[in-house]
Amino acid sequence: MRKLLQLIFGDLRNAVSVAVALLAAYGISRLAPGAAGAALALLLIAAAAFQAA
Amino acid sequence: MNAAQWGGASAIFLASAVEWVEAFTIVLAVALTIGWRRATGAAAAGLGVVAALIVLTGAGLQAMQADIGRIRAAIGIFLLLFGLRWYVKAIRRYAGRTALHDVAREFAATREHLEHAERRAAWVVAFKGVLLEGLEVWLLVVALGHTLSYAAAAGSAVASLAMVIVAGLALRAPLTRVPENTLKYTVSCAILSFGSFWGLGGLAGEQAVWPLGDVTLLLLFAAYAAAGRVIAWRVRVAGSVTVGAQA
Repeated sequence: MRKLLQLIFGDLRNAVSVAVALLAAYGISRLAPGAAGAALALLLIAAAAFQAA
Repeated sequence: MNAAQWGGASAIFLASAVEWVEAFTIVLAVALTIGWRRATGAAAAGLGVVAALIVLTGAGLQAMQADIGRIRAAIGIFLLLFGLRWYVKAIRRYAGRTALHDVAREFAATREHLEHAERRAAWVVAFKGVLLEGLEVWLLVVALGHTLSYAAAAGSAVASLAMVIVAGLALRAPLTRVPENTLKYTVSCAILSFGSFWGLGGLAGEQAVWPLGDVTLLLLFAAYAAAGRVIAWRVRVAGSVTVGAQA
């Protein structure tokens, strides 16, 4: 099961990237809701750049 | 039908069309990866579950409306996990890095296993996408259907689904001529866009975090598509420098 999940969703880095980006964007949404979406997109792009390098 | 009922039916038709277009976009994207037969199977399964839910929980509509945010968040997170992985893989292929990794693989069976798992996950993506959009159309029918009969409201939603399917099928042939990695990259950008929209919208409130509404999906897609190509270019440049230094 663990292997299957890893094959589908990638390694721990991928899961952590999504979790951190979502949590950070959610936190931002409490303070400035209008900026949360852009923050999420930027964080995911940064995560992709980090993983692709 | 009187003018008010025609107005209600038209509103349901148009609003449903927006939801069906979103669902069809996901199915189309997945179909380009795992084939039309499996993708349409997933879509049919999603619609079947929606139909079953309508029959089984018709009376529990209020509860469903309260939970739609949680459902949206759960599906969005799933799409983000899946989409980010595909996005990174497609970027690495553009940069010429994943191909080198594949050649170095010792066991072909591992790769087959990987592809099998990806196909299964892609099926789930199509299924959940149609399920979520179908649920939203159902809520729409019930919410706006009070101005006319539920049969007429459901008929408007089904007519709009038929229109979207016919229009979408016309896109099949031109898309088969697009290179594979371009398709996968486009799919990953679309999945990431929907995942971002539903994931954060479900957690923090869609209207609060995405004030532009569904138009945001296009903006997200454009941002991910542009950023991914820049990342691929940067990674390729960095790789070339390293290779040059070693030589």
